[in-house]
Amino acid sequence: MKKLGTFHIVFLLFLGNFLAPGGFTDLYAQDAKKNSVRLKADYVKIMGGEIYVNIRATSKIDNQNIDVPNLEINVYNEYEDEEIPLGKTITDSRGKSKFVIGGLQAIKPDSTNTYNLGVSFEGNNDFKRASGSVSFKNADIKAELITKDSVNYIAATLSDTFADSLLAEKSLVIQVQRLFSPLKIGEEFNFTDENGAILVAIEDGIPGIDGNLNIEVVLDDSDDYGTVKAIVNAPIGKPIVEESSFDQRTLWSPRNKTPFFILLFTGGLIFGTWGVIIYLFTNLVRLTKS
Amino acid sequence: MGDHTKKERRKFLDNGLKLGIAAAIGGLGISKITSKLNANTEHNSGEKMELMTVDGTLIEVDSSEVMEVQHAEDHDQKYNVREGMPNRKFVMVIDLAKCKNALKCQQSCNKHHYITGDNAWLKVYKMQEEKDTAPYWMPTTCMHCDQPACVTVCPVDATFKRKDGLVLIDNERCIGCRFCMAACPYSTRVFNWSEPNQEFTLNMDMVNHQYSPEHSGMPSVKGTVDKCDFCPHQVQKNELPHCVTACPNGVFYFGDKYEDTVNNGEETVRLSKLLEEKAGYRLMDSLGTEPSVYYLPPVDRLVDFEDGLEEYNEFKSVDKPE
Amino acid sequence: MINYDVLLKDLAPKKFSKRGMTWVIFLVIIIVAGIIAYIDQLRQGQVVTNMRDYVLWGIYISNFVFFVATSFVGSVAVAILRLTKNPWRTPFVRIAEIITVAAIVMAGITIVIDMARPDRLLNLFIHARLQSPITWDVIIIPTYMVISMLLLYFPLIPDFAILKKHFEKTKPKWSKWYGKLSLKWTGSAAQKAIHAKSIAIISIMIIPVGLLLQTIDAWLFSTTYRVGWDSTNFAPYFISGAFVAGIGSLVVVIYVVRKAKKLEAYITDFHFDKLGKLLVLACLIYLYFNINEYVIPLFNSKKADSEHLKTLFSGDYSIPFWIVTIGGLVIPILVLLFKKGRKPFPMLIAGIMVVIGAWWKRYIIVTPTLMHPFLPIQGVPESWHSYFPSLHEWLITSATLAMALLIITLLVRYLPIIPIQRTMDEQEMFKTENIAEL
Repeated sequence: MKKLGTFHIVFLLFLGNFLAPGGFTDLYAQDAKKNSVRLKADYVKIMGGEIYVNIRATSKIDNQNIDVPNLEINVYNEYEDEEIPLGKTITDSRGKSKFVIGGLQAIKPDSTNTYNLGVSFEGNNDFKRASGSVSFKNADIKAELITKDSVNYIAATLSDTFADSLLAEKSLVIQVQRLFSPLKIGEEFNFTDENGAILVAIEDGIPGIDGNLNIEVVLDDSDDYGTVKAIVNAPIGKPIVEESSFDQRTLWSPRNKTPFFILLFTGGLIFGTWGVIIYLFTNLVRLTKS
Repeated sequence: MGDHTKKERRKFLDNGLKLGIAAAIGGLGISKITSKLNANTEHNSGEKMELMTVDGTLIEVDSSEVMEVQHAEDHDQKYNVREGMPNRKFVMVIDLAKCKNALKCQQSCNKHHYITGDNAWLKVYKMQEEKDTAPYWMPTTCMHCDQPACVTVCPVDATFKRKDGLVLIDNERCIGCRFCMAACPYSTRVFNWSEPNQEFTLNMDMVNHQYSPEHSGMPSVKGTVDKCDFCPHQVQKNELPHCVTACPNGVFYFGDKYEDTVNNGEETVRLSKLLEEKAGYRLMDSLGTEPSVYYLPPVDRLVDFEDGLEEYNEFKSVDKPE
Repeated sequence: MINYDVLLKDLAPKKFSKRGMTWVIFLVIIIVAGIIAYIDQLRQGQVVTNMRDYVLWGIYISNFVFFVATSFVGSVAVAILRLTKNPWRTPFVRIAEIITVAAIVMAGITIVIDMARPDRLLNLFIHARLQSPITWDVIIIPTYMVISMLLLYFPLIPDFAILKKHFEKTKPKWSKWYGKLSLKWTGSAAQKAIHAKSIAIISIMIIPVGLLLQTIDAWLFSTTYRVGWDSTNFAPYFISGAFVAGIGSLVVVIYVVRKAKKLEAYITDFHFDKLGKLLVLACLIYLYFNINEYVIPLFNSKKADSEHLKTLFSGDYSIPFWIVTIGGLVIPILVLLFKKGRKPFPMLIAGIMVVIGAWWKRYIIVTPTLMHPFLPIQGVPESWHSYFPSLHEWLITSATLAMALLIITLLVRYLPIIPIQRTMDEQEMFKTENIAEL
């Protein structure tokens, strides 16, 4: 254009205002406002029980890791470059979710007999898409209670299911189920021997309801096998004796369990005194009448 | 002829340019407006929500302030609230060798029980028995005594002792006579002398919550008494009380005496072993209250007493919002 | 020998003088101020008092204890003196009964003022736990209230009959009311029998109930662990304190009523002398218990006890403590030990000192102990380290005291303040005895 008329200049300047950096960063800010999510998946197998994946979603906001609730997670089985969907789950208020797998028959392993599972999140207004994965091989723990020379032991064997081989030199944790967190017994590290077996003595005197102890033998968070847990019910604990005075008549009991002495004494005094008072009132009536 | 086409081309380009820029501006403009709209619904748009306060009045709150806060939903009470969880006896162990008055326990307790008064339920005392003995920090909670003086003197059964060891308060029954406070030798009970003003922090969380003595402070009631409840609302979820998890030094252990196991958030240990190894004792035992809180004496201290002086405030135990 | 008509004229209720009206209006103003303050307390909560988590009981409770102690006068001046056959009690038994009723009624009201949730008052009955000392209090106070009202009412019946006749022409409406209250009393033998038996029963019953009332009041404190309260001495200490407070109040009210109603002929120097001896006896016994309570713990110097006593003797509470002990106990004893001190006017002064001392003594019992909990006072505002009652507390407490005085004033106004029938009977007996002797 040879000559830009004033109108054009004004128009261009006018436009230029809008095209100022503010405008563009606004667009960028929209995208940059979304936070990234980290998905972590762990595999847990309970012998004779559930098989599940523990999913945890966290995000770094303002330099703090926070749990992200209410994210819809897709769980799928990665097999031969395919993603076979297994189901969906939503993270709870603490960003966690437990996804139960019906049985290992429901998923297909790869050629190395490793099961590969993936978890993904499609993203929403606040968070970017994310994904995670977990791979594991199938392992078994067979555990039982043995008594030898009046000492109680937990005998356990760890094996790789597919290869049917016993796994040696793996550290197992032996623990008693307790209220918040299990109580470890045995050594800090209990390594399986060349037969994939361990023998751990159980100390006497661990209390349990009716003497029952639930003892767990755990392969904890192993790289190849995930977490495998076998639970043994061992009725060798010390039965719990209730110490509470709740059912007794005490000074601090509720009113339906008042100590007899107080009941009788106060009751007697009240009835005695008020009986006389009532008699006095009847006297007033008699007085009027006579 | 050429001139005419040139003019037409100019005009076409001119128009094209205008149109293009207009489109660009329009697009930018629209995106800006929509983003502003979206932003507004996220940050103080003025969009309000109506919520009901604890005493039944309706208030309006900006919808951006309504966040879901994690807390115990209503549980299926499988046990009577006045009887307690079956087969449990809760105890706490406080390791004085590790306490350096970080006060995280107190802050967590204050926050999760919506404490708005001037007296915290969990107090960390600066103790020094004699001028010649060494000072130390001593956190105290309610001792949940097995022979509770406070329960004995309550005239209306508002405070009660459960089978699982907890001593709880029914704020809907309390008549505010304060005899329990006079009877408690550990000075652990606090009183709501005025309306507790919990509306702003508490309101959102009250939406699905029904009052229960198992979660003290939800809500606090004017003219009644409050104290540490050993967080049964946490234990129901299989979680440790707030002070236990908040302490950065592992001072608090909590557990079931029948299981002989206590947990400080990291270690799980046998109670009897802990008490034996570290010579556990109970506070003012000779009074015969049979407290459920054991103390481990400040031997082989892991921290210096002086480190705690920084956080020490003789006249304040609850942080008030500005 | 006073003849019947003069007796009646002297003892029958008269209209209020201007002074009387002024007094009543003064009391009503104080009461109204207190009610306003109480409504504010209900609205805002007890934050309007200066009680906080450490000093959790303040002058509401010490005022309550004072009223309970004063209400003992009925048991003493009426029942105990009757049992011990002291006929000189006749002129003032009614005043004693009136003070008792006023005091116990106000005790019941005062304790409800201290409750932070009076809307839940019924819980004390519906959910009552018999193991709690407060429940015992809830039982004994209404019981004592009813008995002391009966003790006031029964002897009034013959007097109401007399007054009905007396006012038949001059004030027919009053006459009707007195008539109703006299329950058709004719003085027949049958009525007299029932009447005498009933009074005998009440007089005997009020003594153990009165003692139990003072004891339970003491047990509110001594069933706790607190230093200064956890004392095996407390129940008898409170009982003897009640003797002192009761008789002290009796002396003051008798003096005022006697002056106002010109009853010098009926309540003479002799009566004051006797009452003075009774009061000094009560004070001496009380002094004995005080020594047990405050001096003996010094001997083994248990840390907590020593600290508490130091606070009372030389610390924050030393001024009220010594004023109460010296001014409220020792000086009255010294005055009353001498015959000159048992004349009406010195008795009034001694009585006033005793009563004021008794009120502040309860403050000394309740508050200093609460400032010495077992664990140090930390983590609370500095103002919580001390206690002085707030304006609301003073207004409400003054209102309760004014209300007690108002009840006494109104009862004194409308009831024959000296038992008319009995005085006549005794005069008759005196006359016949004299004749018999002649």
